[in-house]
Amino acid sequence: MEHHSVHDPPPQPGGPHPGGIMSAQAPPPPQAQQLPPQMFTTAAQLLDLTDKKLLLVLRDGRKLIGILRSWDQFANLVLQSTIERVFATVITPQDPHPKGLYADKSHGIFLVRGENVLLLGEIDLDKDDDPPAGYEKAEFGLVEKLASEQKAAEKARATKRLKKLATLGFEGENMGEILL
Amino acid sequence: MPDMAEPRKSSSTYGRDDDPLTYFFKTLIDHEVTVELKNDIQIRGTLKSVDQYLNIKLDDIQVVEELKYPHLSSVKNVFIRGSVVRYVHLPAAAVDVPLLEDATRREAANQAGKGK
Amino acid sequence: MADAEEGPTGSVSEPLDLVRLLLDEVVFVKLRGDRELKGRLYAYDSHMNLVLGDVVETIYLIDEDDEDEDIKTTTKKVGNVICPR
Repeated sequence: MEHHSVHDPPPQPGGPHPGGIMSAQAPPPPQAQQLPPQMFTTAAQLLDLTDKKLLLVLRDGRKLIGILRSWDQFANLVLQSTIERVFATVITPQDPHPKGLYADKSHGIFLVRGENVLLLGEIDLDKDDDPPAGYEKAEFGLVEKLASEQKAAEKARATKRLKKLATLGFEGENMGEILL
Repeated sequence: MPDMAEPRKSSSTYGRDDDPLTYFFKTLIDHEVTVELKNDIQIRGTLKSVDQYLNIKLDDIQVVEELKYPHLSSVKNVFIRGSVVRYVHLPAAAVDVPLLEDATRREAANQAGKGK
Repeated sequence: MADAEEGPTGSVSEPLDLVRLLLDEVVFVKLRGDRELKGRLYAYDSHMNLVLGDVVETIYLIDEDDEDEDIKTTTKKVGNVICPR
């Protein structure tokens, strides 16, 4: 059966999910029903992703890629061989279509606090070496600079929009959570 | 009983203690849905799992505007934190309207009973 | 007891009971952000998660560079949605 719920009994070492590190780790506590709301994914789901290469999108918009090696009941995650990937677009006078750039920076081992994770995805290793469609690799410093400029400009626009929307009785949608 | 109108997949898939919406959501497992996030990204995929916070797991995903959101290009399945979801677009055929409305009324009665 | 005679679905004693009376009606929903929805209410829960059918979504488009410009709207039909709180 593929679907698990928090009510399933904790997995036993040597069960259907092999993986050296799992046996060294305490199984999730049995009081799983009372897990706090900040936990965003069940233990069983993380179990499936252990030792897989993942993409994490964090609350501040950062994208991390790494191999999930360990985790706990709060979805705190330990990533190995972590890289941070930044994206930006540039508009050149010759080409009306914006060109995409991306760059990676190695960080080694990261422990990510679970509440900061908005989304996580398993990377298809067959496609992992292909650059994202429409994007090419560039120097990290350059892409990071462009990305932060674009983020700042977007933030300024959002502030103005929010002000206008307030006159219509709207309130911000994702206060406190900056998105991807 | 409307619950019995059609056979459900397995009793263990749908916990008895689920609230009706979570229960309904779980009936959509293995259906194709589109999840629209609060940052406007739309991700289409097969619903694989959902929990009480409406955290969602999707398989075989496809981002609707891939050029605009390149970072998911090599990702095959995702977990999405329920709090970042704006909408889940559902296949109309998968929605049993009378069942949903009945379940909602029953839960409302239930909640009112608890309050007294 | 009046409640008992009315049955479990008839009484109005708290705000969400008014939402219950809107089940299967076309409702207008104002959301956070820049959106409004019109659609038939199929389900809701105590968190105000909603399931709506035949939804029309209105998005307020704002030109943030032009202080005086009128606010435009765009609408689109989006079918059935679950709309978490």
